[in-house]
Amino acid sequence: MNIVATIKETLDYKIAGIKVIEMIEFAVILFIAVIIARIARMAVRRRFKEKVTPTTLNNMEKVVYYGIILIGFFIALPKGVSLSGLLVAGGIAGIVIGFASQTVVSNLISGLFLMVERPVEIGDSIAVGDVSGVVKDIRVLSTTIRTWDGIYVRIPNEKVFSSNIYNYVAHGARRFEYKIGISYSDDASKAVELIKDILAGHPLVLKYPEPQVFVSELGESSVNIVIRMWAPSSHWYSVKTELLWKIKVLLEENGIEIPFPQHVIWMAGEKKEGRGKGKKKK
Amino acid sequence: MFGKYDLSMNLQTEEFEIEVTGRGKRRTYRRKANNEEVEKIIYADEGNIVICPVEPVNMPKLGVAEHLMVELKKSVIFEPDIKNTFYVKFPLEIGVFTVDKKDVERIDIFTTVKAKYALYGPPESGIICRWWRSDVYADEPEVNPLKEGILRVDVENKYYEWVELKKVVFRAFDMKIFYNEHAYMHGILTLLQKTTGETSFNTRKPKNMHGSIDIYAAKGIKKFDKKYFMEWGFQ
Repeated sequence: MNIVATIKETLDYKIAGIKVIEMIEFAVILFIAVIIARIARMAVRRRFKEKVTPTTLNNMEKVVYYGIILIGFFIALPKGVSLSGLLVAGGIAGIVIGFASQTVVSNLISGLFLMVERPVEIGDSIAVGDVSGVVKDIRVLSTTIRTWDGIYVRIPNEKVFSSNIYNYVAHGARRFEYKIGISYSDDASKAVELIKDILAGHPLVLKYPEPQVFVSELGESSVNIVIRMWAPSSHWYSVKTELLWKIKVLLEENGIEIPFPQHVIWMAGEKKEGRGKGKKKK
Repeated sequence: MFGKYDLSMNLQTEEFEIEVTGRGKRRTYRRKANNEEVEKIIYADEGNIVICPVEPVNMPKLGVAEHLMVELKKSVIFEPDIKNTFYVKFPLEIGVFTVDKKDVERIDIFTTVKAKYALYGPPESGIICRWWRSDVYADEPEVNPLKEGILRVDVENKYYEWVELKKVVFRAFDMKIFYNEHAYMHGILTLLQKTTGETSFNTRKPKNMHGSIDIYAAKGIKKFDKKYFMEWGFQ
């Protein structure tokens, strides 16, 4: 009997004008709200995964998740707690905490600006400062990136916001180029035509803007040809890694030499008319 | 060639070969085309195989393009307030699906023609399109049904000046493909200004034709605007 009375007394005990039982109710309702929010977030992910962009999906998940928790919070609020008083107290606490933690506030504001300005989106390939990789999440305080070698990097939003951001896939297409040197004795026009043919045959080298292939320089050891092409931003790297070797093989198959750097040295006393046919010494 | 087949089937053409073999629930799907061979295992009790043309923007890489750009070999010039019709060819992409009463599932998409992409618009805001070049025909052209389809284009020039047309861009979400012996689409192009226009599709089924399975409609994404706005010109 005493135990029951003690428990009842404990539950009815008031801390800052709120009963312990109300605090427990608050915690339980909030816990249930979190569980419901997680289930709802998973449902949103399953329903819309293939129908909206990753960034939109992420935002939808956050709205649903935090919306349900917020509703749960207000439902769970003990009757004795005044909402306006809570907001005032929260506001004052916010100012105090804000002054105490300026970096956090700075990150928060930067995060909000990033979400509005949207220079990057989830799934984009980017470089921020000395970090480059794929954006995995844009949170209120930080942005997470998976680097090309698979490492998780969390960058504070303040740093992201104030750094130069290179977004490699913001535009639909991007250009890249090779520079290939061929021997002076080979036909540069033929090489240009062969390279144009191989570019025309590759589906991911864009038809428009048209690729450019031209002799750019008469180098010390070779006639240098520049090859510029556009490819879809999502696939440019695979095109770049694939084509260079194909061009090299094609040129060699057609008897066009890609020479090593070389110097021709003429020894004193060699016949003048022998120039061009003399022995090369590298 | 296009149409509905049983779960055990074999289709051989000059350009490709498709077969589904096996008994009971486990079947094997094989497709040969362009020196490429695809093999998949299907677990199905009942249902059918449907082979039909699909929106020609999926090959060679899914997800790269959602638009088809048809470049005309000869420019077409329209006087103000004129309505006219011409025909072009479009690249055929063939879809293979399993269907039952409840659902449709894509098994395979392939093409027998060389694919190429192009950018429509400037690099900073343009879109990647599946590119195709075609002659312009006054009447329905003869096509190789294994490689090409027929695209009818109804053009209306609402602008008060002459407009020259060298290319036209269509959005896959708006496309509606029909087929009998060959694939067929009916596009509509409205020229609004010298460099802007709208493209859409007539979705009414022509006589003696069947409607294809729409991949993009099947994605469940509804576009509120049923027209694509060509804002970067016709040249």
